[in-house]
Amino acid sequence: MATANTEEEKSKSEQQKNHGGGGGFTRWAVLAVIFRLILIYFPGNLNLSSRPEVSTPLTSIRRLAEGYWLKQSSMSPYAGSMYHGSPLLLSVLGPLTVKRTILTYSVANAELKGSLVTFYAVGCSLVFVLADLISGILIRATGWKLQMTYRKSLKSLNLLNKSTDSGGLSSGDIAALVYLWNPFTIVACVGLSTSPVENLFTILTLYGAATGIAPLAAFGWVMATHLSLYPAILIIPVILLLGYGPDAPPSKLFRSKENGKVGDDTSSQDIIFSWGRVLHLLVWTSMWSVYVLVLCSISVKQHSSLQEMFQRTYGFILTVEDLSPNIGVLWYFFAEVFDFFRDFFLIVFHSNILFMILPLAIRLKHRPCFLAFVYIAISSMLKSYPSVGDPALYLGLLGLFLDELADMQFSFFLFCGYVGVSLLSPVMHNLWIWRGTGNANFYYATAMAYACFQIVLVVESVSSMLNHDRKLMKLSASKLQK
Amino acid sequence: MRSKLPDAASSRKMAASSAVVAILASIWLCSSIAADASGSSSETTMHTNNWAVLVCTSRFWFNYRHMANTLSLYRTVKRLGIPDERIILMLADDMACNSRNKYPAQVFNNENHWLNLYGDNVEVDYRGYEVTVENFLRVLTGRHESAVPRSKRLLSDEGSHILLYMTGHGGDEFLKFQDSEELQSHDLADAVKQMKEKHRFKELLIMVDTCQAATLFNQLHSPGVLAIASSMKGENSYSHHLDSDVGVSVVDRFTFYTLAFFERLNMYDNASLSRLFNSYDPNLLMSNAYYRTDLYQRNLQEVPVTNFFGSVMETVHTDSAYRAFPQKNTPRETRIRTGNTAEDDSRRSILTDMTKAECPFTRIVSSLESKMETVGNLDSLVNYGLVMILPVLVVSVWLST
Repeated sequence: MATANTEEEKSKSEQQKNHGGGGGFTRWAVLAVIFRLILIYFPGNLNLSSRPEVSTPLTSIRRLAEGYWLKQSSMSPYAGSMYHGSPLLLSVLGPLTVKRTILTYSVANAELKGSLVTFYAVGCSLVFVLADLISGILIRATGWKLQMTYRKSLKSLNLLNKSTDSGGLSSGDIAALVYLWNPFTIVACVGLSTSPVENLFTILTLYGAATGIAPLAAFGWVMATHLSLYPAILIIPVILLLGYGPDAPPSKLFRSKENGKVGDDTSSQDIIFSWGRVLHLLVWTSMWSVYVLVLCSISVKQHSSLQEMFQRTYGFILTVEDLSPNIGVLWYFFAEVFDFFRDFFLIVFHSNILFMILPLAIRLKHRPCFLAFVYIAISSMLKSYPSVGDPALYLGLLGLFLDELADMQFSFFLFCGYVGVSLLSPVMHNLWIWRGTGNANFYYATAMAYACFQIVLVVESVSSMLNHDRKLMKLSASKLQK
Repeated sequence: MRSKLPDAASSRKMAASSAVVAILASIWLCSSIAADASGSSSETTMHTNNWAVLVCTSRFWFNYRHMANTLSLYRTVKRLGIPDERIILMLADDMACNSRNKYPAQVFNNENHWLNLYGDNVEVDYRGYEVTVENFLRVLTGRHESAVPRSKRLLSDEGSHILLYMTGHGGDEFLKFQDSEELQSHDLADAVKQMKEKHRFKELLIMVDTCQAATLFNQLHSPGVLAIASSMKGENSYSHHLDSDVGVSVVDRFTFYTLAFFERLNMYDNASLSRLFNSYDPNLLMSNAYYRTDLYQRNLQEVPVTNFFGSVMETVHTDSAYRAFPQKNTPRETRIRTGNTAEDDSRRSILTDMTKAECPFTRIVSSLESKMETVGNLDSLVNYGLVMILPVLVVSVWLST
């Protein structure tokens, strides 16, 4: 009883600490939103929406505007291979892309007129700013939930180190602020790419799975897969999250602890896989996917068909039809591969993502949130049309595991690498396309360097997480021996 | 005794001779019947269309006048009513854009340059090296390769009046083609005979403006052919005048006076062929114009020149439309149509009854689709569906916590 009371007090104090930390978080979050709004005020959104890093054939706002215009002109929005996104996004964002010159007639000032002509972009930008804000809040909530359950499991193993209690911000706050203040995220938001919306649904999936709300997780997963194909592999960490619960130390520890101590009045630490919640999740997934498919079929009914929609969205992603340069590694390769081998290499590149699923799932099944992070990092490296919104997502999620990854090697090297690549890549693009003094190899070299840094990040984070687990095992073994 | 044998022999002889006479008589009867038939057929078939085959057989700059001749007659014939579809124009066509031509893309037949013969609507069917004796004979007889387009074929029938005009250099029973071949009089006669056999014309007027042109008609035998030539055997046909600006002679005398005759006419004049033939003055032509009418049955004073040089058609006005199709079907057709629609409706209702019995899922889908069609705006439905997501999500989250 006494221990329960102290536990309640401890959780309350933790909540108060979070509130205090929350004050800091809200301040920084509001500042991030204001910063985005200031950047949006600049004419033409700083021309970021025309950069290849920001707008890919999947995320470009101009293609969305074109698709919306085609739909308004009683044609299929997929005509002419311009728009490759979801028809639901057309209904939501389409009307916001239309230029509205309502206010220009009452304006005498030339400066103001110039900024009002681009008024149409503001509606769209506000949607993306809102998406970013909600993503930040959801990351914070996920991080808080993860931290709470992790602390609980560590405490049950008597491994909790009081010194790990950082006074200021929890890992969730740090992760949310990293996400909100990441230059990649800001560029993706101000440059009007649709990746903030995709990231929002991915984070919603993780939040729903971490808090155990199956319909929310199902909805997030269905929408994320619908918007871009790659979050489909997140079904495995979501199932693991709902089955096993959020990240915990390896189950070996719990079993060895049970063998060591008998008659403990803490609750049973048997990590059993709850099939009920998974079934719940699957039911909700099927319901949401039917709903989304029905909505899409109604939306495309008049001038297009569902088959065309799948062909132009998923088919486009999988067959890599557009070879315009981006920060990924596929465009250069598929520009020079022979047609005879094209299908083979498409299978190779996509199965490169698929092959990693099973081994990582086996090895990291006790840490499904971290597994989701690794999956997201791998898919953003090998996806057909990566943009700057993908590192925004996984770098934000990386912040959730700062406690465990504190001893990660090469962290400074990676930081410098990311900064260097993000500065050099636009320079090389300019040299190649605009000045003509470079060629595609310059730009592709930065893309390859970027892929190398991503690989190093994934490898190092996984190895440091496994090292952390080994440390925990050693610690608990030494404690048991005591 | 002698009388008996001579009697038998004479009787046999008489039988043989009578048989021969009978055979000959029958042959003569048949031929006369045939002749009568052909003669009567040529009189009983109606004159329905006019064709013109205008051939200039020379090339090179110094034969400017031959092309001017042909183009002048082309213009006249078109002016008097024959359309381009009924004119086969064969020219070497190397004058208008010749590098020696001071007036590019212009061909004149008079030194006053009033008339540009190479105007906007000159349709040459055979030009350049296509003007050969072979092509000419193919045009006349209608024996072309399958790839030859219809615009290059003489598609005349038994009601056609054909004007055949040829100009160039010629001689005793020949006509020179493109300075490399010659058309001989028996070739022309054979071609005309083939045309007659194939009923490719009702009446044919051949007009030739070359030296010793009359010799070209020596072999003609087909009935219904009228021939006129610019000069007789041993005579030359001369050019009319030299255009010092262009540098060559621009027209021949025979064609010049022919054109002068036609310039006074319009489409509705009924000047006769005899007037045309009598208008040629040997002093002005410096040769004797010759015309051959023995193959032509009709009286030249009754034949208007527009029978050959123009195209005046007799229109028969009828009150009934679409006379080519039988009238009696239309009431029956309408009856059939109404009958069909009734059957169609019943068939359609049968089909829907069948589908109704089939599968509840398809029934639901079809009813949904019909409802969606009645819904005015599908976009508003989609927006409604999107907005509905939020409350459904909130409710589901609330239910599962």
